[in-house]
Amino acid sequence: MNLEFGRVTLVVLFALLPIAGIALGLRAPALRSKIPLLVAFFAGLIPIFSMYIPKKFLSGESGMSPRLDQWLIIVAGFALLLGITNVVSNGYRKISRRDRGWPYAIVLLTGLFVMGGFGIYGAISGKGIGFLPDGSATPFRWVWSAVFQPLQSTIFALLAFFMASAAFRAFRARNTEATILLIAGAIVMCGRVPLLEFLASPFPALAPSAAAASQFMGRATEWIMDIPNGAAQSGIIIGAALGAGSMAIRVILGIERGYLGLGKGE
Amino acid sequence: MQAFFQRLLALDRRWVFLLVLLSVTIPIVIPIGLPVTTTSSTRSAFEFIEALEPGDIVWLSFDYGPSSAPENDPMAEAFLRQCLLKKVRVIVSAFYPLGGLDLANQVVAKVTAEYPDAKYGVDYINLGYKDGAAAVMRTLGQDITSSFPTDVNGRPLSEFPIMQGIRTVRQIDLVFTVATGLIGEWWITQVHSQFGTPVIIGPTAVSAPKYYAFLNSGQLVGMLGGMKGAAEYEKLLAAKHASFRKFYGETVGFTATKGMDGQTVLHGVILGLIFLGNLAFFLTRGNRAGGA
Repeated sequence: MNLEFGRVTLVVLFALLPIAGIALGLRAPALRSKIPLLVAFFAGLIPIFSMYIPKKFLSGESGMSPRLDQWLIIVAGFALLLGITNVVSNGYRKISRRDRGWPYAIVLLTGLFVMGGFGIYGAISGKGIGFLPDGSATPFRWVWSAVFQPLQSTIFALLAFFMASAAFRAFRARNTEATILLIAGAIVMCGRVPLLEFLASPFPALAPSAAAASQFMGRATEWIMDIPNGAAQSGIIIGAALGAGSMAIRVILGIERGYLGLGKGE
Repeated sequence: MQAFFQRLLALDRRWVFLLVLLSVTIPIVIPIGLPVTTTSSTRSAFEFIEALEPGDIVWLSFDYGPSSAPENDPMAEAFLRQCLLKKVRVIVSAFYPLGGLDLANQVVAKVTAEYPDAKYGVDYINLGYKDGAAAVMRTLGQDITSSFPTDVNGRPLSEFPIMQGIRTVRQIDLVFTVATGLIGEWWITQVHSQFGTPVIIGPTAVSAPKYYAFLNSGQLVGMLGGMKGAAEYEKLLAAKHASFRKFYGETVGFTATKGMDGQTVLHGVILGLIFLGNLAFFLTRGNRAGGA
């Protein structure tokens, strides 16, 4: 048995400690939140320490941090399962109570079970979820290409219609900020496509001027995207990262406990 | 005139929908063949891939779903064609849960059929889908097989010559992520920033503005922004390689260059609608003030 320090520590922190926590929680409800907080504390600290402390047990190939990364994939798989359970229980409740829109819940659950069922069948039978050796589609693949793919494409394509309608009704130069946005938007829309060449196509004499103007609009678009947009995006990304970092610190230190799903005072 | 603009402001939106429908469908049925100009972000992506040598290895990740396939498929196809032509080896994966794997299978089957000499497991390999994208990407820096022990068909990676000597993502010469949403960003933060692997991204036009920040900071080698980026890439490929000039000139299938016709007309229609809406808004402002 390989009793490396990192491995043993992980087992203690993330297996024995939670088991002890569950046992204690059954006997003393006041302790229910304490052990999960400790688990979160160590799960948050180990990857951070591994970035700064080059010790084998921490950041080596089979160290604690890479192992936690692998566990994260497994936990993500369970999160998927949790999501399915949640969808099924919510849908079932909606149907049984005949809540508003309950027939849609039937459609949702039917889609979930049909698609999931074909996927599981493909895995169990060994036929997979793609094409069979004779070139025909598996049931999963057939539903995907005949139902799921067109539905997804349709939903996204509808955006073009609503965006055009919204732009016509709401994109107004009401004040200075809106006017700047309108002008920048118009330049980018014009500069991203050969619109001027298209408009000048019935008039060959205008073609060289249209091409030159189009190139100018293209350069203006690149400048807008690179400089003002790039600067604003950098600010947003840095701000979001700082926010995520501070939230992570709150979770690690046990200040933020909303994820535990406990009531007040627990 | 005032009455006309009043009526214009109250226009039934179904007329706008009809206009949008016609402006997209007519150029698809009757292609216009408008010129495409290239941008620096696409050119730098193209030049980086052109500079790769035969035998180099790249990672192509399908991080999008059917909703954005008309924008993203042409990018993935063009990149795969270029790699197979240049004998650059390709590792394919999918991290998008809603159909990323199916699109990967579809595109790989379509493009590799055009290159009968390309051998599965030697010139390219499909690792399939893995849940938990960001966490998986972190493990790629330690050991690819810890997250992808087998290919999409369940065969161990050690069986394939393409994976011989490839242990981590640090040994990959380039990651090309065709992405919608957050997954493209994770390739930058989890793979490029931590393991140094160069990354090129092919996002949808909607998410492209975000990536200019990463381009400016040098964390991205290049970017193919939306269908326009894909059309630029097709143009660069056709300009460089005679076989692609022939292919993109003759193919009856959908290409980004063909899609740009519809997008150009639609942009013109939307700009016209915005102009008319504002004109009507300002010309009828007096009436509204009087009415109030």
